[in-house]
Amino acid sequence: MGHDTPPFKRILIANRGEIACRVIDTCRRLGVETVAVHHLSERNARFVRLADASAEITGDTPVAAYLDAEQIIETARETGAEAIHPGYGFLSENSGFARAVEAAGLVFIGPAPDTIDLMGDKIRSRRFAEENGVPVAPSVTGGEDIDAFVEKAASIGFPLLIKASAGGGGKGMSIVEGKQDLLTRARTARSEAERYFGDPTIYAERYVERPRHIEVQVLGDGQGKVLHLFERECSVQRRFQKIIEEAPAGHLDPALRDEICAAAVRLSEAVAYRNAGTVEFILAPDGTFYFLEMNTRLQVEHPVTEMVTGLDLVALQLDIAAGRGLSLDQPDITLTGHALECRVCAEVPEQDFMPATGRILHLDPPTGDNIRFENGLREGTDVTLDFDSMLAKLVVAGPDRPAAIAAAQQALERTVLLGVETNINYLARILAHPAFRDDPLHTGFVAEHEAALAEPDLSPHEAARVLMAAALTFREFRTLAFDAPEPYASIGGWRN
Amino acid sequence: MKLKLRLNGTPHEMDIAALRPDLELRIDGRGHALRETGTTGALRHARIDGEDITYHQARSGNRAFLHLGGRTWIVEFVDPRDAAREKVQGSGDIRAPMPGVVVSVEKQPGDPVTAGDTILTIESMKLQTNLTAERDGVLAEILKSEGDVFEKGAIVARLQEEEDGDA
Repeated sequence: MGHDTPPFKRILIANRGEIACRVIDTCRRLGVETVAVHHLSERNARFVRLADASAEITGDTPVAAYLDAEQIIETARETGAEAIHPGYGFLSENSGFARAVEAAGLVFIGPAPDTIDLMGDKIRSRRFAEENGVPVAPSVTGGEDIDAFVEKAASIGFPLLIKASAGGGGKGMSIVEGKQDLLTRARTARSEAERYFGDPTIYAERYVERPRHIEVQVLGDGQGKVLHLFERECSVQRRFQKIIEEAPAGHLDPALRDEICAAAVRLSEAVAYRNAGTVEFILAPDGTFYFLEMNTRLQVEHPVTEMVTGLDLVALQLDIAAGRGLSLDQPDITLTGHALECRVCAEVPEQDFMPATGRILHLDPPTGDNIRFENGLREGTDVTLDFDSMLAKLVVAGPDRPAAIAAAQQALERTVLLGVETNINYLARILAHPAFRDDPLHTGFVAEHEAALAEPDLSPHEAARVLMAAALTFREFRTLAFDAPEPYASIGGWRN
Repeated sequence: MKLKLRLNGTPHEMDIAALRPDLELRIDGRGHALRETGTTGALRHARIDGEDITYHQARSGNRAFLHLGGRTWIVEFVDPRDAAREKVQGSGDIRAPMPGVVVSVEKQPGDPVTAGDTILTIESMKLQTNLTAERDGVLAEILKSEGDVFEKGAIVARLQEEEDGDA
């Protein structure tokens, strides 16, 4: 803020797709040159074209290329980049990469490597949170002395979730509603843990019914100054991945919001956090909340926070990484309005959200003052299984939550993205559901409303309109209807 | 000649009743009038039963993608030859619903299976999905093994014909 010179002359972006485009966007505004890295299969991608320069990286798979720390650092050196922005995913939370970047004399636009190590370790980060007065879900571990385990577990309160410490995949896992079932269930869990995992250690924690996913955006300068940019709610998930996020959370008591934000700041101050980061919590219907994890990078859903605070998180990341600190103070950060993000994914909601592939044949995104369509797409872009199924993020703001929902519905209706199956209609049905508008959300929302969110039946009139418009695109139909086919050139994607 | 189309999983039949003065179609037995009325950039205009509609369209292979009335639609053109093939083969084919890679094979040829049994687990974009038997029967063959890559619609396993189910 208020600097006349850019924070860096040139940075390399160790990522692709929409997030690479997002980082380039801010860099252009600030006068920072950008170097993209791309796999051969994406040499014509939008992010490659937008960057000032791009270098090809190689790997057994496209993803492997982006995980090749050595190659990426070498590319940064060769192209004269001073710093590396990791985006999200890939190497963004890899402390070895962060250390190697620093060892190469470059700046890692992220936290200190030790912070990544601490927050990347479930057990250590949980203990660290607890030590710093951030609530964690009460839990006990045991198994050898079943009576002692049962006694300690009962003191946590019910319902309880019992699982195998070494486990996964639901084996040995059960929800215990009351004390009368606890001993039997603990015995069963212990024998299943022994049988499936060769380790009888079991673990009990407070089971939160209808949990909400609330997370707090923080910014730290690495010198102990930490600010929060309020919370986001990301409870609408499918396959344990977020699909609709918003800021601020709806139906959240202001005092509780302050408490959650303060806990996030406390945790971040305790590590003298550097960079933008996100502290995730589980919020129970009774208002108790528990630390889940901290993501030490820019988050996919960061734009909703930008929309309601008016701040550019990437610019702030660059300032912090360049050692310029944080010129903002907490009172400078205010909330205005409400923002929603819908993740547009190549998938089939009707078939358990299975990923879909294809080619972007026609793209006409909605535009407007309060609309951001964050994407890395061009017409002709192939949607393959090489990368994640997220195609774009539609981010929409309004003066309040109902207005933001209405604006997001309209924006979804105006999103033209043809050539691959997407969840656009499905997202619109979620926004239109009364429970989304009126009730507190919870992570089981999609499952709870599965029937209501299914594709509605079409009236014969509606179906006929769609079928006739579709028929006009088929050569076989045109031949029959108009004697001669329309010239091939006017039929989209005919060459397939 | 009847055209077979599929929308949201539902099959529809369309045929042409008259070409002039206006195109008249029959869809699932009901009559409709259709006229193309021009384009504005990428937007298409048509008049359907006296009502003006505007839409975006793209076509990929046998699928038409439409943006019409604020929603996205995919209409599949069913090639009568495919339909005929499917009938001959019966429902014993287990097809990959999406492209991906085989993570594990849970059954062997000759194994009896009941509807819903997992035959293979596949992975696509980091998501694992179980491919299951659609009916009871005996597994005739498994055409893919662990690590194999396949395209959408590929047959990955096959059940014995129902007549031979007790073998």
